[in-house]
Amino acid sequence: MEKRRCALRRTAEVQVRAVAAAALFSTALQGIACELPAGGNFVDSPRYSLSYRTQPARISVGEHFALDFSVCAKDGRPPPGAVVVDAWMPAHKHGMNYKAEVKSYGGGRFYATGLMFHMPGLWQFLFDIDGERIADNIPIE
Amino acid sequence: MRIGLLALILAAATGIAHAIDFTPQEVRAILRHGPWPAPWKPDPSNRVSGQAEAIALGEKLFFEPRLSAKGGVLCATCHVPYRGWQDGRGRGMGHVEVDRNTQSVLDVRWNRWFGWDGAGDSLWAQSIRPLLDAREMGGGSAAHAAKFVREDPEYACRYTRAFGAEPPADDEALLVDIGKALAAFQETLVSGRAPFDDFRDALERADKVAMAAYPATAQRGLRIFVGKGNCDQCHVGPAFSNGEFHDIGISHFIRRGEVDAGRHGGIQRLKASRFNLLGRYNDDPSGNAAIKTKHVAIDHRNFGEFKVPVLRNVARTAPYMHSGRIATLTEAVRHYSDLNIDRLHADGEAILKPLKLSEQEIADLVAFLESLTEQRSAIAPPGISASCKNP
Repeated sequence: MEKRRCALRRTAEVQVRAVAAAALFSTALQGIACELPAGGNFVDSPRYSLSYRTQPARISVGEHFALDFSVCAKDGRPPPGAVVVDAWMPAHKHGMNYKAEVKSYGGGRFYATGLMFHMPGLWQFLFDIDGERIADNIPIE
Repeated sequence: MRIGLLALILAAATGIAHAIDFTPQEVRAILRHGPWPAPWKPDPSNRVSGQAEAIALGEKLFFEPRLSAKGGVLCATCHVPYRGWQDGRGRGMGHVEVDRNTQSVLDVRWNRWFGWDGAGDSLWAQSIRPLLDAREMGGGSAAHAAKFVREDPEYACRYTRAFGAEPPADDEALLVDIGKALAAFQETLVSGRAPFDDFRDALERADKVAMAAYPATAQRGLRIFVGKGNCDQCHVGPAFSNGEFHDIGISHFIRRGEVDAGRHGGIQRLKASRFNLLGRYNDDPSGNAAIKTKHVAIDHRNFGEFKVPVLRNVARTAPYMHSGRIATLTEAVRHYSDLNIDRLHADGEAILKPLKLSEQEIADLVAFLESLTEQRSAIAPPGISASCKNP
């Protein structure tokens, strides 16, 4: 009877270890799976790293453009499911006259449309992710 | 070399300017205001944009009084060709006086939004609005305009040529096509080259002799425009407008107790309009033309904002501002020089501040603005068109 209890305990311990190992492996896999595409503009915050490209590559004053971007969590957690994108001119203290719409394509990939810079000068992209903000300067001629 | 030297000596002797040595940053800023005319593509939301038959129909409609409800007002009543395609009045006058200054339709094809408040997102939608406004063209209906075009043999024939089909039975669809023909005509109204354009192109070529032909006072004004004045933050590009909206501290009161909400009201009207680019009359299958309408944001700060006007031919379009309260260019410049920032609904914006210009600087800036006046019209005079029915 005692032998059987010991065997059951051992089996349960093995199962717990297996589940824990699987969870660790899965987390590690997720960390590995979230890779930022090469060639974009890289920016980061304490918890997230982000890479973006504008479409078209060269932004002109008064022309609408889109942002293709990817986000990874630095601690290996799954990437965020939602990101809010905005932009503003720090020197003028105003934002855009248009509200960007962000679509998630899963795996930390996003596409924002409807952005437009209506003045030349220094603009700043703002990415709000899970309570954390990533900003990046972008000069517009 | 000798010719260049001679030109410089002659210029000095006659009091004509030498070219200022603009900094590389100033040169970049100046070059952004050209070349002129700027590139343009037909409006994808208007299937007859840029097409000759539609332009001819639109021109005829533009000067047609019978489009108005009582037959006494035409588009050209307010957009008078010899007055720079506006009316020279403080506030426009159709059947009665309206609340805003009439904007010129010259160079209108480069606009993103239409009207002082941008309630129109296409030139064709904007062209429909006065037809239906009781104050402007008497409050005619879609049925009135449609019946006129459908039943007049000349117009019905021209419509068929322009749109490739007979006028539709649906009054509203026909009204929209009238707007699209009017837009096609107005898109041809492009201002001619101004002295500034010759200077700008000479600067690009680093042609000092040609640059020196541009008056010294205009050059100094240009330096203020792209520098100390920060004017080119909003008056951007070849048409000298970013096409957006700002509050510049002009009173919003139309009359005692009544205010003009400006862009805030404009966005509300835009969203409510059945003729906006999100509606069924947009001819653009790609959806790109409607991006601005889909994404435009409404905010408290839009209250009291009005569109940044195009500055080409500005010396011919007095009086100024959305309510026509400023009579001269000098007063307009002085407004920015002495700006009262307490009157701005800026919500923390920090673009405008009093420029505190000297009298000489005001005169220089005015000289620069006057140099944006075309030297000769680029618009072909109207031809005597043969009858459509009996060519």
